[in-house]
Amino acid sequence: RPLCSQSDGEARVARVLRQSFPRASAIRVVDISGGCGAMYEIHIESEEFREKRTVQQHQMVNQALSEEIKAMHGLRIFTSTPKA
Amino acid sequence: MSGALRAAWWLRGTRWGCVGAGRRLSCAAAGEAKDSGSGGDGGGGSSGSREAVERLVRAHPVVVFMKGSPAQPLCGFSNAVVQILRLHGVSDFRAHDVLQDAELRQGIKNYSNWPTIPQVYLNGEFVGGCDILLQMHQNGDLVEELKKLGIRSALLDAEKDQEKK
Repeated sequence: RPLCSQSDGEARVARVLRQSFPRASAIRVVDISGGCGAMYEIHIESEEFREKRTVQQHQMVNQALSEEIKAMHGLRIFTSTPKA
Repeated sequence: MSGALRAAWWLRGTRWGCVGAGRRLSCAAAGEAKDSGSGGDGGGGSSGSREAVERLVRAHPVVVFMKGSPAQPLCGFSNAVVQILRLHGVSDFRAHDVLQDAELRQGIKNYSNWPTIPQVYLNGEFVGGCDILLQMHQNGDLVEELKKLGIRSALLDAEKDQEKK
């Protein structure tokens, strides 16, 4: 991968996630389609996910990114909670 | 490395990104109507209606909505789901190819409020897509869930053999 900073797509998705998950301790968005903006890998760690089943956590992310997802080919989501 | 772990590493290493012009390898329906408020619910007769989908997910303990068939998946994520089930020795499951039925393709997304394919249902309950199934496979949850359905995972026997050696 080039050493340049986040692509526009990654930055936009990350911004939406930051707004939707104000308590998130870590957010990482990676364009895994080689910069096409077609497929993203999302890693997000937040207290807001605690006590929720993985499917529910992913649903929260899907909900937050419903607009962005329309333009995507696919996405991979990895959610976690901060070590208490 | 145990057989289960060894089998899992290739799943992680596989590139599932877009490959080749024109070949849609996955899974969010770009360009398709995804608004949950309309479409796909044309009454009891439509293959994408809530009733029709409900019938499908309840028809069998393990139901998968995928792209392509188990013998020939047409998507990297759908393929991963099939491979994981195979690893656990689950050969008896219902698979529905959403590429063959546009109404079902939209209907299943409405039903689960989940925008992507594949979708895995255990005992009529939506469990998740490829990433979640992979996670469940790696952390042992899948063996437990299959046990609840009365299915003994093949990996339990594989580990037993390892221990004997």
